Amino acid sequence: MKVLLSWLRDYVDIPSSVDGLAERFEMLGLGVEGLDRFADDAVFDLELPANRGDLMSLVGVAREVAASLRGSVRSPIAAAGGVPRLDAPTAGEAAQGVSPVSGPASVEVHDPELCPRYTATMVLDVTVGPSPQWMAHRLDASGIRSINSVVDVTNYVMLELGQPLHAFDYDRLGGRRVIVRRAHDGERLVTLDGIERDLSPQTLVIADSVRAVGVAGVIGGADSEIGSATSRVLLEAAAFAPASIRRTSKRLGVRTESSARFERGIDIAGVPAAAARAAGLLREVAGGRVLPDVVDVYPHPVPPRTLDLRWTRVARLLGVDIPMSDGEVILVSLGFTVARTDGVLRVGVPSHRRDVEREEDLIEDVARHYGYEHIPEAMPVERTATGTRAPVLVTEEAARSALIRAGLTEVLTVSITDPESLDVLRLPAAHPWRQAVRLKNPLVGEQTQMRTTLLPGLLETARTNISRRVHDVQVFELGRVFLPRDGRVAEPRRLGILMTGSITDGTWNSPAESLAVTFYHLKGVAEALVAELRVAGAVFDAGQAPWLHPGRAAVLRVAGDSIGLLGELHPDIAVAFDVPAATYVAEFDLDRLLAESTLAPQYRPLPRYPAVRRDLAVVVDEQIPAQAVADAIAGAGRPLLESVELFDVYTGAQIPSGRRSLAYALTFRSPDRTLSAGDVDVVIAAIRAALERDLQAQVRD
Amino acid sequence: MDAHLDLEKLGREAEGAIAATKEPEDLERIRRHYLGRRGVLAGLTARLPQIDAPERPEYGQRLNALRDRLIQAIDDKEASLRLRATSTRLDAEKIDVTLPGRRRRLGRRHILGRTLQEVQDIFLGMGFEIVEGPEVESEEFNFERLNMPRDHPARDAQDSFYITDDLLLRTQSTAVDARIMIGRPPPMRVLTTGRCYRRDASDPTHMPIFHQVDGFMVGERITMADLKGVLAAFARQFFGPATATKFVPSYFPFTEPSAETLVSFRGTWMELGGCGMFHPRVLEVAGLDPERYSAFAFGWGVERPAMVRYGIPDLRLFWENDLRFLGQF
Repeated sequence: MKVLLSWLRDYVDIPSSVDGLAERFEMLGLGVEGLDRFADDAVFDLELPANRGDLMSLVGVAREVAASLRGSVRSPIAAAGGVPRLDAPTAGEAAQGVSPVSGPASVEVHDPELCPRYTATMVLDVTVGPSPQWMAHRLDASGIRSINSVVDVTNYVMLELGQPLHAFDYDRLGGRRVIVRRAHDGERLVTLDGIERDLSPQTLVIADSVRAVGVAGVIGGADSEIGSATSRVLLEAAAFAPASIRRTSKRLGVRTESSARFERGIDIAGVPAAAARAAGLLREVAGGRVLPDVVDVYPHPVPPRTLDLRWTRVARLLGVDIPMSDGEVILVSLGFTVARTDGVLRVGVPSHRRDVEREEDLIEDVARHYGYEHIPEAMPVERTATGTRAPVLVTEEAARSALIRAGLTEVLTVSITDPESLDVLRLPAAHPWRQAVRLKNPLVGEQTQMRTTLLPGLLETARTNISRRVHDVQVFELGRVFLPRDGRVAEPRRLGILMTGSITDGTWNSPAESLAVTFYHLKGVAEALVAELRVAGAVFDAGQAPWLHPGRAAVLRVAGDSIGLLGELHPDIAVAFDVPAATYVAEFDLDRLLAESTLAPQYRPLPRYPAVRRDLAVVVDEQIPAQAVADAIAGAGRPLLESVELFDVYTGAQIPSGRRSLAYALTFRSPDRTLSAGDVDVVIAAIRAALERDLQAQVRD
Repeated sequence: MDAHLDLEKLGREAEGAIAATKEPEDLERIRRHYLGRRGVLAGLTARLPQIDAPERPEYGQRLNALRDRLIQAIDDKEASLRLRATSTRLDAEKIDVTLPGRRRRLGRRHILGRTLQEVQDIFLGMGFEIVEGPEVESEEFNFERLNMPRDHPARDAQDSFYITDDLLLRTQSTAVDARIMIGRPPPMRVLTTGRCYRRDASDPTHMPIFHQVDGFMVGERITMADLKGVLAAFARQFFGPATATKFVPSYFPFTEPSAETLVSFRGTWMELGGCGMFHPRVLEVAGLDPERYSAFAFGWGVERPAMVRYGIPDLRLFWENDLRFLGQF
């Protein structure tokens, strides 16, 4: 809200400079968002707390400033000599033959819950013209365009006291009546901004006997607008239910100075005073006569609130002893009434402070005006506790660390995504990843759902980098995906990996093909991860996924369950995403991986006896997976065979077509003696026999 | 005395040959020639009986001395030849050490993840329990239990993504506080970090998705002074020991009193985030008696402190994942 300094000075003496006042505002919690300085004046743009409707007025702001100086405000109502004098109707009116207004306007409030108070004041014989220069200037400096003397007065009083007002051209009200009611189904209204709006039965309107003439508390109607011909004004000052105003304003997409104040709540007891202040000003600037019979429909007056403030609670909550007398002075200068009894202040809450509901609210006011800067810095006196991390965060960190040590960079991708990203993955219509959690109110047209997979984000990362000529992209993301589950949303953790480009830097004189990422680099990362997490029984097998090259895809199984897929990106997707064909991706069920991990390994004795190494070449049908050969060797080599390491894969000359040669380095070791050549020969023979028998292999050693 | 002269001559001859040798093989040949089993000195030794008896002992001594001299000369020569050979080989093996190194590519954390971890570690050091909560929340936990009923004006600042009428993407990680407090006996000190969502269009300082840190502490003696102390301690660890903090009044529906924390960094005051004493209603709905317990709470976005600390001008850089950006931290 904009606050013109010279105007504010009408209500409070401000000894400090502009900067000093700005600092004072900040320390009171009125954020200074903008400050325009002029030769002899300044305009502050204040950011006000959402619960302080009373501060949306100059008098409200003045009250805070006064309290911070332990002073008091000059009320404009008091300055005008209390409620202004109301003029009696003249006898000449009837004689002139114009429609006589001899009594109060006719006002009916059909929904007192949404409109707890409604006042109508009649002002006759106004001359609608330009406002006086001082008023137009003050409005302009406060960001409100001067329109005409009548409208300007309503805005002026709204800025001054925080009470929104509306002026109707009385002669344009059908039946000369005001009815406060909910809109009829299908009712429409052209509002002041010239837009025809559909109203709904949830909308409270001000109507005449025929139709709606304004949306209550939000915006007036064009038909009953004050014009140059207006001479009789019905001045509305009312209170509307904040929640209803807020909903209406949101539904219509109209936020006005008026709705902003009503939704925060206005001073319901102050409504007549604001009406009188406006009527008095109207007489001053538009030359009207104010009729004495003000209508005030206020069926259920809000009782004043009284709260007990136990002074010990102040120190208990703030951690500092403030003298009770200080608190008393602060509260009184804010407009509270205070009666002091034994250690307790009995506090009468003024009607404009509808936000003050409990003891803590009073403590905050005391704290603000005492000064947060005077509250000391302490450390909590509590039972000592050890810091802990949720176990899943610990294992997740172990996984992250393993991937980083494997040379991958962590990325974060956005979790709100578009359904088309799944089309790009070639997912069939029935794929479970298509069952996404959808947003009811997306912000951007296509970003309509929560991600069900990390892969599109990683592909986007690769695309972005490659388009910027960063070709070596080896990244991972640990993140949540979102899946509908029984009307709720499950948020499983996933690990996504993408690798493309070359694997080292500084590669001069090295053949490019030896540095390019392959399927086996991706698999190596996955193997390193399961090894680091010590996931028991992890097995890689040929797999299938729509987004993977059908001949270059693998599944990772743990205890027989698939917990993820890895492989070369399907060439069609590589083309669609503008990434190289040699792009490798993986996605794993991180919850499961973490659940299977062991972070506290047990010591195994280091070997005491030397190992014996033998090489073995196995020629088998090329359809037989290498894993089957390694498994057969391992099975037959127990218990002396310590490790089986593949070092060569060969097809070509000397190997029959349709077969291939797999060469293994075998390491044998005994925990309790040095093995002899004869010991090893026996095991080799067993291995050879098993390979020949089970895999129809030819074996050479 | 001829025999003596002969020995002297022989010695000079041999020493000359040794000195002139350039190759280890030649030296070996010289060794064999003079010192071998059938070498020159061996021959002289064999002829010792033919020497006149009175001269024999002296001759014998001189012969031995000559042998020792030659052995020494050959050993010395051998060492020097070896030294020269090594140095020649090392010269030949010289490389250009200014050619680029072959580097293993190092992986790294995302800078935001690292920042979150740092924040967690600081609070871990103050005895906080680090927890996580769901990103999809109910109205109840995201708003209602935090004293923000439907139609509360404060909801305007937190325009939300809804999934159903009741489920939404959490707008603040304070929702986790509301969950954790239920059914636990105080004292508690808890910190959570994670993604939050608000319907803000992307620009250099806004994204619809961001990370928050949120913490609270409940006990029988917790005060606003403790809140100031804990956050000031955090700021000094995170931004540097000389960092000053300032608390100015603010408004949040779930705290009363409420404050904004400002931190001095490189000569300006930066808004860190909101904090305050939990509103008694928040404690009540969590089943905690506000007469007995009090609690402080704080929360802030992580992107902004990271941007300020590292001089990053645009929030969107965090989400683009340009490896040249990520590689800088």
